[in-house]
Amino acid sequence: MMLRIKQFLALAGLTAVEALRQPICILLAVSGVVLIAALPLVIMHTFGEDGKQVRDGALAFHFVFGLFIAGHAAGTMLSREMKSGTASAVLSKPVSRELFFLSKFAGITAVVVLFSVCAAAATLLSERVAEKFYFTSGLTGYMTDNQTGTMLVCAPLAACFVAALVNYRFKRPFASTAFVMLMFFLVLVLLVCGLFDVTGRWMPYDIGVQWRILPVSLLITMALVVLTAIALTISTRFEMVPTMVLCGAVFLLGLMSDYVLGRYAGSSRLCGFLYAVVPNWQNFWTVDALAGGGSVPLKYILSAGYYAVIYTAGILCLGMLSFRHTEMK
Amino acid sequence: MSDKEDAAIVEVSKLVKVFRDFWRRPKVRAVDGLDLDIRRGEIFGLLGPNGSGKSTTIKILLGLLHATSGDVLVFGRLPRDVETKARIGYLPEESYLYNYLTPYETLDFYGRLFNLDSGVRAERIDQLLEMTGLRHAARRQVGEFSKGMARRVGLAQALINDPELVILDEPTSGLDPVGCRQVKDLMLALAKRGKTIILSSHLLADVEDVCDRVAILYNGSIRAQGSVNQLLEKRESVRLTMPSLPPDTMKRILELVREKIGKEPEIDHPSMNLEQFFLEVVEKANRTASQQSGATPTDAMAGYLTKE
Repeated sequence: MMLRIKQFLALAGLTAVEALRQPICILLAVSGVVLIAALPLVIMHTFGEDGKQVRDGALAFHFVFGLFIAGHAAGTMLSREMKSGTASAVLSKPVSRELFFLSKFAGITAVVVLFSVCAAAATLLSERVAEKFYFTSGLTGYMTDNQTGTMLVCAPLAACFVAALVNYRFKRPFASTAFVMLMFFLVLVLLVCGLFDVTGRWMPYDIGVQWRILPVSLLITMALVVLTAIALTISTRFEMVPTMVLCGAVFLLGLMSDYVLGRYAGSSRLCGFLYAVVPNWQNFWTVDALAGGGSVPLKYILSAGYYAVIYTAGILCLGMLSFRHTEMK
Repeated sequence: MSDKEDAAIVEVSKLVKVFRDFWRRPKVRAVDGLDLDIRRGEIFGLLGPNGSGKSTTIKILLGLLHATSGDVLVFGRLPRDVETKARIGYLPEESYLYNYLTPYETLDFYGRLFNLDSGVRAERIDQLLEMTGLRHAARRQVGEFSKGMARRVGLAQALINDPELVILDEPTSGLDPVGCRQVKDLMLALAKRGKTIILSSHLLADVEDVCDRVAILYNGSIRAQGSVNQLLEKRESVRLTMPSLPPDTMKRILELVREKIGKEPEIDHPSMNLEQFFLEVVEKANRTASQQSGATPTDAMAGYLTKE
């Protein structure tokens, strides 16, 4: 048992490291964060709705870029490995196919979660930067948080700078270092900014940071984990491009499933079956709950989590069955 | 070659492998009724032109492909048995390495899969890097390596677990002559220790140098099989090698031979082969060279592979 655990950790660790060291991964992560950071600049003069629109846009970027990272990582880590032969090299060792498959899932999930941390931090910061109407003892009127905005923009630059320095001095890979530094700097900026209000006064973690966005980010992360499982299962039979296309199709169908399938589920067996089988991403998209100062209840998060766990487990079983019979040419 | 035990550790009977397309229609009959037994402690060569079924047979032995029909046993178990693979080392036809890992990380990763202790792992990695001449490049990413250097990493990962059965598919592909000689010496050293080696190669000279028995495949089936000496020996002629003799003595010998066989015998001077000459030149240059960015020629063999 211990051997299997050690093998699982070794394989999952390798998968995560390999994924992080690919330039496309840091490119997608930085692009996502930069776009989230740029939202307050392009969304202005919306009659006080800037915060909401920035928040909604940032969460959408989190979802979409997470989808790209999950789809690309799954396609690269499995279908390309099967094509290039590294999967054969590993499976010629005392490693079962099921363990190999599950460790790939674990490794890619780790990368997706890391990205989600970056995206969630960037979303919180970006929402804070957005122009809002303040009515406090020291401030009345519309204002953007320029200090936070500056720090948010500087975070990816600082991450790349430090990664370049580490690469030059210690010959460590740039891409993986930059990814980890990106997460570090974003979280650091978030923690620091949370200690001050928008005017720079010491006010540790007041309403300046909308922490109620975090549960929504958590739900999106759950959705990305489910997507990772789907992408990995598809990649046992298809190469990277078809995997990403099919993942995109599942994503779109899942977003519309309530309207395309759910309406007819009661009257049509086929629609009912498809409605049950196709993942319903609306379960994880709860930005509307934040309107008017609301938040997502814990009970809802737990039930969505339960759905994600069950669905992921089912998809992974299917994936393991598929991979068991896949030939390593 | 020394006497070997007779136990067969690889048993293949009436093996057939048919590759199918996406719609499950038969596409290629890669292996067609193969019968093969490989005994413990021998170096067995699998020869054949491209597409003859060598790599397919090897992948079936490793459980990477499913046999369409026939029986395959490795160490008395089915190829897919996970525990059996702990006793096998495999060098694929292409090196199949993770480009973003360094040789050290690659060997460490594979060592973990075999549940080697950290101390043992570190020691073996050190010895393997020394043996393959990659110590100075241990911290560079494999993706930056030349084909030959990547091949050396591939060879090292095949030996990290000190396997009982070593399967080498084109092991000298991409290697310089020094590296080729080293691989051949390594195979002989491993066989001397009782390891079994399956060698698949197009390079007939390499196979001839090291193999005890060979099988020649064509179109998925064995066309000739037996010990190298038996297959290659030309019993109908004889070759004598002797020091240069005075012209008169040579003339008398030739007249006698001509009289006995009724035709002119072939005479030439023996020569060393190009490999031997190359090795001598490189050995000489290595003694005077100061620095090299590629793989460094070394006679070292990993201690754990050659100790009795």
